[in-house]
Amino acid sequence: MSLSHAKDSSFLGGRIPPEIDSMSKNLKDVDQEMFRKILKAVVSGLEGKDCSEVMKSIAESSTVPQERLSHVVAGVYRLLSEAIRVPASSLKQEAFREDLRELRIPEEFITDFSSVVFGNRRAALDAATARNDPHLPTVEDFKWRVDVAISTSSLARSLQPSVLMQMKLSDGSLHRFEVPVSKFQELRYNVALILKEMNDLEKRNILKIQD
Amino acid sequence: MTSFIKETESIKEAVTFINAIDVNKFSRLISRITQKLHLKGERTFSEEEEEKLQSALSLDKQALNLVLETAAFILEQAVYYNVKPTSLQQQLEAVHLNPEKAEVFSLTWAAAGPELVEKLKHNTFAPKKLEYVGWQLNLQMAQSSQARLKSPSAVLQLGLHDDNSEVQENVFLGFNHQELLHFYNQLETVQSQLDTLT
Repeated sequence: MSLSHAKDSSFLGGRIPPEIDSMSKNLKDVDQEMFRKILKAVVSGLEGKDCSEVMKSIAESSTVPQERLSHVVAGVYRLLSEAIRVPASSLKQEAFREDLRELRIPEEFITDFSSVVFGNRRAALDAATARNDPHLPTVEDFKWRVDVAISTSSLARSLQPSVLMQMKLSDGSLHRFEVPVSKFQELRYNVALILKEMNDLEKRNILKIQD
Repeated sequence: MTSFIKETESIKEAVTFINAIDVNKFSRLISRITQKLHLKGERTFSEEEEEKLQSALSLDKQALNLVLETAAFILEQAVYYNVKPTSLQQQLEAVHLNPEKAEVFSLTWAAAGPELVEKLKHNTFAPKKLEYVGWQLNLQMAQSSQARLKSPSAVLQLGLHDDNSEVQENVFLGFNHQELLHFYNQLETVQSQLDTLT
């Protein structure tokens, strides 16, 4: 299937994934109502929800043979996954529609696809898929306490302040530790330094690299 | 202030031994004990050193132990109550320690005392203590679910030290710009609390 040689390459890249290829061939057997059901189920699957029940009912209520239906579902899933990978700012709706037209997808279906990719549920969809990506644990809950030791077994009058921190991380672990005042200053200073570096980085040209 | 050194049998016995020791040797002994006082659980002298001390001071094993423990006790109490050197000297003379030995205690205490108190103030026992802060700033270009990102992300390394084990536990935390700013604001709140204490 020859592709966009006239304009910039499609959001799918140079080669059309086979699932999308076979989906286009099988779409003519699917009516819009069925297509919308499939689309909805796929979006729900991308969000991480279990959609086996929905899929089953779609398969049972359809006249299309199951094997052809599965090609359509696979294609819709792949197309949507690839579309939402591209940052919303770089993929323009018109270019997207053009790319889908080149795949010979019917116009009404193109509109349905667009409403998912450019609609108001896009942000939630992005957040849901990002959850599965590898990342370091983040601080989910941060609690702290400032204590002053009045006296200890070694000193009747200590009056030494210290900070106690408790961090619950996104990987479920809990860390509780004491921070001597001097180390606290060091931590605070370093965090401020990283923030400054982040600000500088965000202003620099590297971020203006053209997509 | 009331004396913190009561003249018990044990103290009397120790005083007798101490009074017999040569003053220069005694001076060095007290200095050494003072240096190691803040280290919890560590012996001041190794087995070998104790044997040498026994012959150097003409004391048997039991007598030496008594002398070392009593000297350490006196110094620990001095730290606990943060006594003045002159008060310490008076209290020691009151239990019949001869003046030159009492003076050794009070001079050593005057010299090393304040530093010792500072060290002990920082001797806290908490399950873990933050000992190391390290970081790295990265620019994330992409991930499985997102292409063309260009988002700054910071990695903060907290080195936690557990008193019971010698191992340092490293906790790695990831932050994007917003998360780091939120964390920083929380640290600022802690700082304002610390400021109210001074």
